[in-house]
Amino acid sequence: MGDGAFLEIRNLGKRFPQRQGREPSPWVIKDLSFTVKEGEFVTIIGPSGAGKSTLLNMIAQIDVATAGEIVFQGSTIMTADPKAMRPGLDRRIGYVTQDDNLMPWRTALDNVLFALEVQGRLDDKSREHAAMLMNAVGLSGYEKYYPHELSGGMRKRAALIRTLVYDPPIILMDEPFASVDAQTRTQLQEDLLRLWSLGRKTIVFVTHDIAEAIALGDRALVLTRQPTRIAGEHMIPIPRPRNVKDIFALEGFAALYERIRAQVQ
Amino acid sequence: MKNIRWRTQLDRLLVLVVIVALWQIGSLIFGVYWLSTPWQTVSRFFIALWNGELIRQSGYTIEEAFTGAVIGGVPAMLLPLLLRRQPILVAILDPFMIGGYGAPKLALAPLFILWFGIGVESKVALVASVVFFIIYFNTLAGVRALDVKLVQMAQIAGASERQVARHIVLPNAIPNVIAGLRIALPYGIGAAVIAELISSNRGLGYLVQVGAMNFDTTQVFVAILAATLIVHGVDGVVAGVEKFLMRWRPAPKALVQSSGN
Repeated sequence: MGDGAFLEIRNLGKRFPQRQGREPSPWVIKDLSFTVKEGEFVTIIGPSGAGKSTLLNMIAQIDVATAGEIVFQGSTIMTADPKAMRPGLDRRIGYVTQDDNLMPWRTALDNVLFALEVQGRLDDKSREHAAMLMNAVGLSGYEKYYPHELSGGMRKRAALIRTLVYDPPIILMDEPFASVDAQTRTQLQEDLLRLWSLGRKTIVFVTHDIAEAIALGDRALVLTRQPTRIAGEHMIPIPRPRNVKDIFALEGFAALYERIRAQVQ
Repeated sequence: MKNIRWRTQLDRLLVLVVIVALWQIGSLIFGVYWLSTPWQTVSRFFIALWNGELIRQSGYTIEEAFTGAVIGGVPAMLLPLLLRRQPILVAILDPFMIGGYGAPKLALAPLFILWFGIGVESKVALVASVVFFIIYFNTLAGVRALDVKLVQMAQIAGASERQVARHIVLPNAIPNVIAGLRIALPYGIGAAVIAELISSNRGLGYLVQVGAMNFDTTQVFVAILAATLIVHGVDGVVAGVEKFLMRWRPAPKALVQSSGN
């Protein structure tokens, strides 16, 4: 990490395998490069279909890249061989997906404890930590509830702290709040910022919502349409702690919003 | 809600009364010699129950069916789990499994009796061969219906291949395994009875066979009634297990809707 990059994406390219008898499939992502510093909250804004999920899937090692390099904590982790993929790269890369992907047969608490359980790290201390996180997002009292008994927002919270609880150095988030109503989303964003302020994890947060990208991030990257690359980069100088509800009224917000919107096609 | 349940019980009773009435009419038309009356059957049923004969014979049949179900069912549950990462092997096995599933297993009974004798072993073998394929295909369907995203989530969280099988694949397949059990177990009990019928000196099938030989239709009916009740009992147990294992499931939609009316 000599150059200070915690995660570096270099000229990343992705095209899906060619189907027999068809035209070569187009590049979904091409020559995409950016870096993320340790402890930084980076938001990535892209139009739908810009390959945002594909990008995160490649970083999380559940999808293979076609070209380029991904360097994480000083070593190249990208691989073109699906068999050599190591999902979550030894628990160092957390991933909060668009769907909550909670196990329907486990209670809220058991879902939150899942990673600790399979990692063999379940003890009094980690249970206490989990209880603290459950409490911080208002899930206390719902420990024994099954996912289908929880509201959409509660499920999102459970999915969020399920990753936070085992403390991976970097966490990828793929539009985690996309499918909830506006009010719940604001609350979830505030929950996330509060949790983040406790630990200052490195976060790469993908969204199609410009306001969300500004409200959460230290820096926002804008993606082009396919083949996707970086269209622009914007520092977000809004001081923390931030109040998500009133962020629209802050000086500079409107101008920043406009600059980003002009770049998002 | 409670009303509906009562209503269902009442309607069931009505259906039972109709069946018994038809049976009674049938025995009046054809003669008691050919078709025993419901009353004769029930009274003989309780006599045989009291003197322990029915319980002893049923015990044999249950023992055979249970042993066969374990021997056939457990590998049938494990195989699809173990072969999850070997789709080619599953594909190779597929035509043979379908063949095994479709082959008339009851026709194998004489063969099993030839191989394993007229004791318990031949019945167990027949039950196992019936149960195995039904459970295998049901479990396989459950394993195939797996949500890849759940597996990826578990892998990212650090789950090993074994932990994925234990925590994701298995619970995901349980509804299918249970559905398989509810079909396979009555089948297995039936297979045990038929194997006994062909050649045995004990069990419910033996009662049927002896009854028929002596033109004693009452005894045949008693044995069939006993087998039917066993099937009901087993199904009740499986339903209870299902309810426990699937307590995480939302209540069935149909019930929710009908309770709203």
